[in-house]
Amino acid sequence: MAFFRRKRLFIILVGFIILVGLIGFSLRDREELSTFEQFLHDTVGWFQSIVNVPVEFTTTVIGNIDDIKNVYQENQVLKSRLNEYKNLVYEVQELRRDNEELRSIIGKTESINDMQPIQASVIARSPEQWFEQVKINRGEQHGVKKNMAVITGEGMIGKVLNTSQFSSTVLLLSGFDRSNRISVYVNSEKINDNVSGFIVGYEEKEENLLLELNEYDTELKKGELVVSSGLGGVFPKGLEIGTIKEIVPDKYGLTQVAYVKPSADFEKLNHVIVVKRMAQQPEQTEGQTVEEGE
Amino acid sequence: MHRFYLPFLLLMTIVVEGVATDLLPRSVMAQEWMIIPHWLLVFLVLITVFFDLEDTYFSVLYAILFGLMIDIVYTSVIGVYMFIYAIVIYIIHGLRKMLHANFFVALSLTILAILLADSGLYIIYFFIGISPLLWDEYIVTRLLPTLVANIAFFALLYPFTKNRLVHWSLQQFDYKK
Repeated sequence: MAFFRRKRLFIILVGFIILVGLIGFSLRDREELSTFEQFLHDTVGWFQSIVNVPVEFTTTVIGNIDDIKNVYQENQVLKSRLNEYKNLVYEVQELRRDNEELRSIIGKTESINDMQPIQASVIARSPEQWFEQVKINRGEQHGVKKNMAVITGEGMIGKVLNTSQFSSTVLLLSGFDRSNRISVYVNSEKINDNVSGFIVGYEEKEENLLLELNEYDTELKKGELVVSSGLGGVFPKGLEIGTIKEIVPDKYGLTQVAYVKPSADFEKLNHVIVVKRMAQQPEQTEGQTVEEGE
Repeated sequence: MHRFYLPFLLLMTIVVEGVATDLLPRSVMAQEWMIIPHWLLVFLVLITVFFDLEDTYFSVLYAILFGLMIDIVYTSVIGVYMFIYAIVIYIIHGLRKMLHANFFVALSLTILAILLADSGLYIIYFFIGISPLLWDEYIVTRLLPTLVANIAFFALLYPFTKNRLVHWSLQQFDYKK
């Protein structure tokens, strides 16, 4: 009996050592997943995309029934907005043509605004909610690469955390921290110069993103739009992230911190777009000067 | 053939866990609660109670295999679920030897397993710095809602699986009751 107990203790200790080893292995910054992990992701992903079809159907039907209640009011509002948009469309067309002409004059064809979309569906969400991750049904074979931005029609939702051949994992903005910051600017109407800053994290309680502004005396107002600036070198320029909710001085009073309400809804995600930045990334343009930072 | 039913069902449980949060109504999701589906664990407890014999450790083996699968597919830290699920199922397996296999035993062992497993997960994730919560916050916002939700799942799963598991156990180990 004593021997048996010692054996049991031994197994548990070995298990603990394996646990610590595996945690250390996975917390490292890895470039890509091992073949075994990719295989597992794809196999489970295949089942998930099958199971997801009926589930998505039911949740959409229930969601639609909820929406029907507000149809009349929404219709009124939309009708009144429609006229404004007609003018806007005309203006945008003019501006776009101007922009193209001017660009062709200076011979600049590449821009950090350019992006190529890859359509994808969300097939699963991590049941462990401390990991803000979702899985999508597009992988390396479809052109998805690590660190690409992921958006919905409403705004940015996150970035690609890792990829396997036929599926990939997306880290949502609500799981961002200081190690994956986004360079942004605030699109302000009053101030000529756009105010820049970094999204440095997420605040769980009020569900806001934390934006650290580079200046300390800005006069930003509630409701102004926060857009990715493309200067970080990873994401394209002009992805909508959210609107400013509140601005407070930071802990030491040196800069300002803004609370940003994300535009996209992270709870209900069905169809997303992975955007591939067309402009070369700074690491690849050796010897050239890159417009980076201030 | 019946040897493949259990692994397949366990795999499907993991797959369905991925869409579990979509099935919850929005009013529940809007709360601060975190509801974690430990469906695999509930299923494994049922396997321990109704399928495994005293000297067979299929449930522990499945806990290691499918725990590792959850780690790889759903989290970015490998090994945590594998370790916790295996240890908890091993404890449950030890306790089961002293008790009869019936509904109330299965229910109380499930409750115990969920409490042990989820707090174990919390402790490990807290030490690696993934969980931001403090102990008392954790109990209110995560442990209790998770426990209630998983007991509901247990009540749903029990009538469908109990007789089948006993039946498969008879087939596989070929013993006379």
